[in-house]
Amino acid sequence: MSLSRREFLKSSAAASAAAAVGMSVPAELEAAAGQAEGGWRWDKAACRFCGTGCGIMMATKNGKIVAVKGDPAAPVNRGLNCIKGYFNAKIMYGADRLTQPLLRVGADGKFDKKGKFVPVSWERAYDEMEVHIKKALKHGGPESVSVFASGQYTVQEGYAAQKMMKAGFRSNAIDPNARHCMASAVVGFYQTFGVDEPSGCYDDIELTDTIVSWGSNMAEMHPILWSRVTDRKLSDPERVKVISIQTYTHRTSDLADTEIIFSPNTDTALWNYIAREIVMRDEAEGIIDWDFVKKHMIFTAGPVNIGYGMRRAGEKSLKDGKYTALEMEIIDKEMKTTVSAKEGPALEPFGYKAGDTMKHTGGTLGHWEISFEEYKKSLEPYDLHYTATIVKGDPDENLESFKEKLQELANLYIEKGRKVVSFWTMGMNQHTRGTWTNTLAYNVHFMLNKQAKPGDGAFSLTGQPSACGTAREVGTFTHRLPADMMVKNPKHRKIAENKWKIPNGTLNGVGKQHIMAIHRGIEDGLIKFAWVNVCNPYQDSASASHWINAARDMDNFIVTSDGYPGISAKVSDLILPTAMMYEKWGAYGNAERRTQHWRQQVLPIGDSMSDTWQWIELSKRFTVKDLWGAWAPSGPRKKALPSVIAKAKAMGYSDNTTMYDILFANKDAKSYKLDQKDPIQAGYDNSEGYGDSRNVVGSDGKVFDGYGFFIQKYLWEEYAAFTRGHGHDLAPFDVYHKVRGLKWPVVDGKETSWRFNAKYDPYAAKATKETGNSHAFYGTLAKALQSGTLKGKDKSSKKKSLANKAKIFARPYMDPPEMPDSNYDTWLCTGRVLEHWHSGTMTMRVPELFRAVPEALCYMHPADAKAKDLKQGGLAWVESRRGRVKARVETRGRNRPPRGLVFVPWFDEKVFINKVCLDATCPMSKQTDFKKCAVKIYKA
Amino acid sequence: MKTMSKITIGLVAAALLMVGCVGGGAKSSSKSGASEIVTEESLGLRTTDLYSENTTIATKTEYGRAQASSSTKFKRAFQDAPPMVPHDTIGMLPIKIDDNRCVSCHMPEMASGVGATPIPESHFTDFRPKHSIKNGTFKKAVDNYKNEVAIKKTNKLQGSRFNCTLCHAPQSQGNLAVENTFEAAYTRKDGANKSSWSGSSLTDSLDTIIGGDNFVTKADVENANSVAGSLDH
Repeated sequence: MSLSRREFLKSSAAASAAAAVGMSVPAELEAAAGQAEGGWRWDKAACRFCGTGCGIMMATKNGKIVAVKGDPAAPVNRGLNCIKGYFNAKIMYGADRLTQPLLRVGADGKFDKKGKFVPVSWERAYDEMEVHIKKALKHGGPESVSVFASGQYTVQEGYAAQKMMKAGFRSNAIDPNARHCMASAVVGFYQTFGVDEPSGCYDDIELTDTIVSWGSNMAEMHPILWSRVTDRKLSDPERVKVISIQTYTHRTSDLADTEIIFSPNTDTALWNYIAREIVMRDEAEGIIDWDFVKKHMIFTAGPVNIGYGMRRAGEKSLKDGKYTALEMEIIDKEMKTTVSAKEGPALEPFGYKAGDTMKHTGGTLGHWEISFEEYKKSLEPYDLHYTATIVKGDPDENLESFKEKLQELANLYIEKGRKVVSFWTMGMNQHTRGTWTNTLAYNVHFMLNKQAKPGDGAFSLTGQPSACGTAREVGTFTHRLPADMMVKNPKHRKIAENKWKIPNGTLNGVGKQHIMAIHRGIEDGLIKFAWVNVCNPYQDSASASHWINAARDMDNFIVTSDGYPGISAKVSDLILPTAMMYEKWGAYGNAERRTQHWRQQVLPIGDSMSDTWQWIELSKRFTVKDLWGAWAPSGPRKKALPSVIAKAKAMGYSDNTTMYDILFANKDAKSYKLDQKDPIQAGYDNSEGYGDSRNVVGSDGKVFDGYGFFIQKYLWEEYAAFTRGHGHDLAPFDVYHKVRGLKWPVVDGKETSWRFNAKYDPYAAKATKETGNSHAFYGTLAKALQSGTLKGKDKSSKKKSLANKAKIFARPYMDPPEMPDSNYDTWLCTGRVLEHWHSGTMTMRVPELFRAVPEALCYMHPADAKAKDLKQGGLAWVESRRGRVKARVETRGRNRPPRGLVFVPWFDEKVFINKVCLDATCPMSKQTDFKKCAVKIYKA
Repeated sequence: MKTMSKITIGLVAAALLMVGCVGGGAKSSSKSGASEIVTEESLGLRTTDLYSENTTIATKTEYGRAQASSSTKFKRAFQDAPPMVPHDTIGMLPIKIDDNRCVSCHMPEMASGVGATPIPESHFTDFRPKHSIKNGTFKKAVDNYKNEVAIKKTNKLQGSRFNCTLCHAPQSQGNLAVENTFEAAYTRKDGANKSSWSGSSLTDSLDTIIGGDNFVTKADVENANSVAGSLDH
């Protein structure tokens, strides 16, 4: 490669200029300019799949996508994609794309819950939605209208959905599938930093000496990041160490210097062991950076008897007997457990010992300041022997050599001058003590002053392509508003109300309907309307039989918007054909705070329309008087919501002003013009803006010919307004269309690589101007605390401010609620495989990906298979207290579990493993633990 | 060997065409009536009872068992798409840091002799700019506001491409769950069999703003015309 990028640009410009005026260009330059051969148009876009957030170059010809290649200019992936990334080219072309709305009807043509699907018009579909939403509102107010939202929404879709739900319907019953994938990371961030999202960035990989993967199979789940790790390792094999800490061997371990196989849930103990080494050896070896710790840290603790996020006694479906005696064996632990011998020592500093009864109250986020001495006490139990005994996950491994590995691990973290990055995703997040485990990671990095610095940091990777960008930053969670604001905070509600030009008092301050609460609310009969957006909640939620039965057997109306008919579509009453990724303008935000935009590449297939369009069309159906009157207490909301109609009228709205006019087609919105002379828009479709050549007949029975303004830019800019000047700053729309993404906060046009670090983060620089400190942990949530001990809060203590400080938490190892016993004798872990994305609706329709992995296998140890009389490739039942599925046994594949554990991925509709899984969650984050439940396995 | 793979490619292409006919009917849009009844069971990948598992069995994995030396290659899915693995991989995987058996046949100097697809030039090209820490401060090697690239051809298989299974997978035989109507197109001669992504083509078409300025301007950053773009408004 002899041409530099700059030379290339020059030659490219020269060639096109020359062509325009009919000059002759030197052959060499012409070749270099080599504009899209074969009439292809290339454009940049983001990958549809994981949280890595790779850039792709996408080619279209005659309105169809024809190729994808890695984008050499994309900082994340520099010219390389993984197998899924390349096959973005084919994801929209599965032959069974949904092309028309489908409604269940009876013989009379009317909606019938028990009916079969028939194609209907968009108008009919919206008539039905309007009727059923109004019915739900009448039944239980805003809390009865819910949305299964997504970390795969574009930023604009998520913003539109949240605005209509929270400002329009006044309902906080919107929560994303991202709840399942990183809620524990989020609560960990809020608790530790007072603000969400990571300190570091992917450049840490090339700058570090040590990569520790905690319960994360990065090689398959963040493949391009793993290619960067591999490159780093191979560039300096002696210096660079890779440690793989896992519950079973997989591809990530294949590259590692050391593999530590731990028993499920004991990562909590392992983090505390490292912290103990740091603290107990500090006096002799001077390990802790006390200057850093004293300036930037406080020590904290919270209650431990917080349950496991399952249903609690007294809930309607429990009283109605919808759960079997077998299921109740586990659910009863939500109220009361007996402290086990395994967790006993860890809980002693907190006032419990083995054999004690622990009465649980529902999860709380409360915590208080403790002394360093108290923190030290919490670590005392984790000596090498106790830790190794409970942590060792391979029964065939020798305890003494296992101990050596733990010591090596601690020493690598501690070694002066050695940079360390700890990565994790679902292993630590999908965990009934997930929030705790996240905070424990920061403890270790903080004490060593190895956090928020180039090459050093605990780095929570996110699973979905816009779990950060949409779910977290936009705030499509039940409890959140844009840019780290909370529905619970009256000041935050007011900021949002003012920006949205809606009356003060419109927003509902009770945000408790997280995604499992929505499923349970449907089963309890509270929720009567649910809309599934870019999500597959009926395949992806644990204890799945309950939710699919509640959808089909109860009086409610379930709508699924999707490109393909997945399980959620099948169990719905109405299915809406939906534009997919490259059939619309959009933006995603990845795990390193990088926001990336793309343009609409092709027209949607059939009559499908985007989620943004679907939300905006719904807003036309509801007026001020429909939604903004008073609502009686309902579900988790114990107080009435006041009427704001009078205030709305004072603002110039009338009873009949539609939400469309207020929220989406207002004066501000219309200032964003459609303009084919704008180089960002020139030559690109905008199906929402202009309509398109398909002439789709829309929700009013007329051909949809567009909103007439640049709706995607409006939604972006209005959302970004919340972030600017508040530590979350997003750049202007046009900027993102010129660059390969930027890491927020983007201040004065400059991105931020290391947050909280005064050298790199302008917000930290500002906060440390007077102190001269190296860091400022400037998040504002829970930054004034009372004090106490490990055993409880001193109720008479005064709140103390801890501005700009972060927290080190004392948190013990605890057992998960369901563990193998003599009957259900094996751990079940679920997750993904490289070739498939989540529930497989897209990737199972790509021939190469389907053929690579056509089925979900039950990966198990050959000795277990032999003991259970199972053959390689033979069918086995995998059965828990909740249900069973059949899968083929694989004893020599890419995943190699120790005896006593099996791994079954969840992408395969025919191996519906979530029927087997338990819907226990971290009680603080409400994220389901898909990694642990107890099963028995026998020949099918 | 060469003739052999050409014939196979012809066969595969023919098969694809037929597939195209069967599956090519992304159902015509609207113009429906209540007559088109669609059952829950007929939708999607699982056409058995969703509420019981008794009759449901996953699609069986049946990778080709042909040996590496005698297998017939798959056509690339589109121009420069990663080729799939046509041969049995038993005994070759997993790839370990000190044991990558794929490269022993696929390195260009070996490949032609054993009839393997040679690892192309892109895999020997270093795309990653070398950022550094100078005097304790991080310095970028390229300006990402200008979409700068730093591309260097080397003689070494790049570490970032060491995990072959990241992109190349064996293929199970048998029917697809659902057909796919994507139509392959190739801009280069022999594009179905060969990577052409090298040299100047690596940076083809990276300027995506046609007829405008690709670089971020002061006016872009100021964003003066965005009325919704701040909380003050």
